[in-house]
Amino acid sequence: MRPHAMTPATVPTRRAFSERMAEYGAIDGDFVVFEADIGYSTFSHLFGDKYPERYFNMGIAEGNMVSAAAGMAADGRTAVASSYGVFITMRALESVRTFVCYPDLNVKFLSSHGGFTPAIDGVTHQATEDIANMTTLPNMKVLVPADTWASRKLFDVAIETPGPVFVRLMRDPILDLYEPGDPFRMGGSHVVIEGTDVTIVSYGDIVFEAIGAAGILAKNGIRAEVIDMYSVKPFDREGLLKSLDKTGALVVAENHQRRNGLGYELSNFCLKNKVVPFENLGLEDTFAESGSYGKLLEKYGLSRARIAEAAKRILGRV
Amino acid sequence: MTATARTNRTLTLGERAAFLTEKAKEVRSRILSMIFKAKSGHPGGALSAADIVTALYFDILRVDPANPRWPDRDRFLLSKGHACPVLYTCLAMRGYFGLEHLDTLRQFESILQGHPIRKTPGIDMTTGSLGHGLSIGLGMALDGKLRGKDYDVYVMLGDGEINEGHVWEAAMAAAKYKADNLIAIVDRNRLQMDGCCDDIMPMGDIAAKFKAFGWKTFEIDGHDMAQILRTIGKARRVRGRPACIVADTVKGKGVSYMEDRFEWHGKCPDADQLTCAMKEIWGEDS
Repeated sequence: MRPHAMTPATVPTRRAFSERMAEYGAIDGDFVVFEADIGYSTFSHLFGDKYPERYFNMGIAEGNMVSAAAGMAADGRTAVASSYGVFITMRALESVRTFVCYPDLNVKFLSSHGGFTPAIDGVTHQATEDIANMTTLPNMKVLVPADTWASRKLFDVAIETPGPVFVRLMRDPILDLYEPGDPFRMGGSHVVIEGTDVTIVSYGDIVFEAIGAAGILAKNGIRAEVIDMYSVKPFDREGLLKSLDKTGALVVAENHQRRNGLGYELSNFCLKNKVVPFENLGLEDTFAESGSYGKLLEKYGLSRARIAEAAKRILGRV
Repeated sequence: MTATARTNRTLTLGERAAFLTEKAKEVRSRILSMIFKAKSGHPGGALSAADIVTALYFDILRVDPANPRWPDRDRFLLSKGHACPVLYTCLAMRGYFGLEHLDTLRQFESILQGHPIRKTPGIDMTTGSLGHGLSIGLGMALDGKLRGKDYDVYVMLGDGEINEGHVWEAAMAAAKYKADNLIAIVDRNRLQMDGCCDDIMPMGDIAAKFKAFGWKTFEIDGHDMAQILRTIGKARRVRGRPACIVADTVKGKGVSYMEDRFEWHGKCPDADQLTCAMKEIWGEDS
C-alpha cells in the first residue's frame, strides 16, 4: 500500500486532531474538553465554539486543569485536557500521574508543540522530554500522528482505548502521507517505505526526515525500510521484529532527548530479543534553541542527511 | 439510620448533635486503635477532623454504603489524605467494609492504603498528595451540574495544605463556574508537619482569601456539632458561588497530650499512651 505520494499538509496535526474532536462532540454527548488558555493555538476552541457548555477554559493553570479533568472523568465521562507538551508533561505531571494514571481514568491529552516543532518559540515551549515522562507512567498510552489523517484516526483510537492516552501533536504543518481509509490502531505501526538493508524507525515529524533519508540511501544502493511507529507506547513488537528479520539493522530517530525516548525502549527490546547493529538519534543531552525548524533539525542531528549517515555508519558503508 | 437519605431529619438539632458527639467518641477511639496496631499513621490531623467527618458520614452525606458508586451520592474528598484513619473509621462504621479491615491500615495488600485510593469502597478519589482535592472536587461538581444531578461535593483541606498554589487555582476556577454544589471545609488546626502554620507559612485570614476569590465563607468551631450541622446546612443552600467553611480545630483533639502538639502529626502512641487516650475519650477520668 506504500508509498503514497506525499503532498504538503494544509493544517498542522494539532488542528486536524481538534477538528476531529469537534466532530466527536456530536457522537458522545457526555464528552468534555478542558483547555488552559491556549485554545486558539491548540484549536480546541473548535470544540468549544460548538459545545460551550462542555468546554472548560481553566485559565493559565494546567495542574488544576488536569486534576479537575480527573474529577470530571471519575464517574465514567471521557475528557480531553489540552495544552502544550511542556506544560502537560512537566507542570501538571503529578496531576497526570497520581490522579489520572493511578486511578486509570478516561482523560486524554491533546499535547501540542511536541519536540522542537515550536522551533521559533525557544526551549521554554519545546517538549523534548515529554515522551520520557509519559511513557514512564503506568497505564498511560502514547500516540504520535505524523499527518492530518493520522491525527483524525488517532483521536478515535485514543477515545476508543480505555484509560489515559497522551497524543503528541506538532505546531506546523509538514506533509500529508496517509490517505483517508488507512487504518490505525493502538500498538500498531506503518511501514511507509519497504526495504531490506536497514530499518529506520521514527514517529511524528521525523517520519518525513526518515523518508528523506531512505531516498539518500537509495542513491547509495542501500534499501532502507521506514517505519512510522505512531503508537509509541505500546509499540508494535511484531512489526519491528518482522522488519528486523529482513534488514538486521536499526536506526531510531526522534525529536526528543535521546535518553529515555523510543530509541531507549527499542534498544532494550532488541538486547533481549534480537541484537542488531543500532543507532539512536535525538537531542544529545542538550536543550535546543530558537530558530527555524530546518536549522534545528540539522544542528541537532535529526535531518535526513544525518539519519542517512547513521544508517551507513551501522552498515559499515561510510 | 436509612441508607440513602441525608439522615435524622425528624430529630432536633440538639438531638442530632448529641448523637454525633457520642459517635465521635467511637470514631476517635477507633482512629487511635488502628494507628496503634499499624504502628504508623497520622493521629493529630485525624483527630482534629474527627467531629466534622463524623457529622458528614452520620448525618449530612447522602450516601449508600451498599452501593458505593451510586451516581446520586454526595461526594466527599479528604484532600488532606494523611488524615485517612478518620475516613476509614467512618466508612467502616457506616458499613462500606468490615470493621476488621481497620486493623490492616498501611499493611501489605490491605484495602486501607497509607493514603486514600479509589480501590477502597466508599472512596471517591485518590487523595493525599496535597493541594489536588479541591480541583478534583470541582471536576466532580461540574460533572454533577452537567448531568443535572443535585448531589453536593465536600472537600476537606488542611490549613497547611493550602500553602499549595494549586488550591488557589481551583478556588478561582470554582468561582468562575459558580460551583454552588462544592463545599470546601478547611480544618484549621494551626499546625503543619514542621511546626505552627504561622511560623512555617502564615496564611493570614483564610476566609478573607476565599471570599476575595468569590466564595461564600463561614467560620466555625470545628468541634461544636450543632455549629457544624447548622453551618453545613447554610453552605448547602448557597447559590451562585461555592462555599468555604473555615473550621477552627485543635490538632490531636480529645487526647490531652496530643492536643496542639505538632509532634503528633505522624506519630504512633505506645500501649500506655493508648490506654490513657481511651480513658480521656470515653470520659472515665472525670
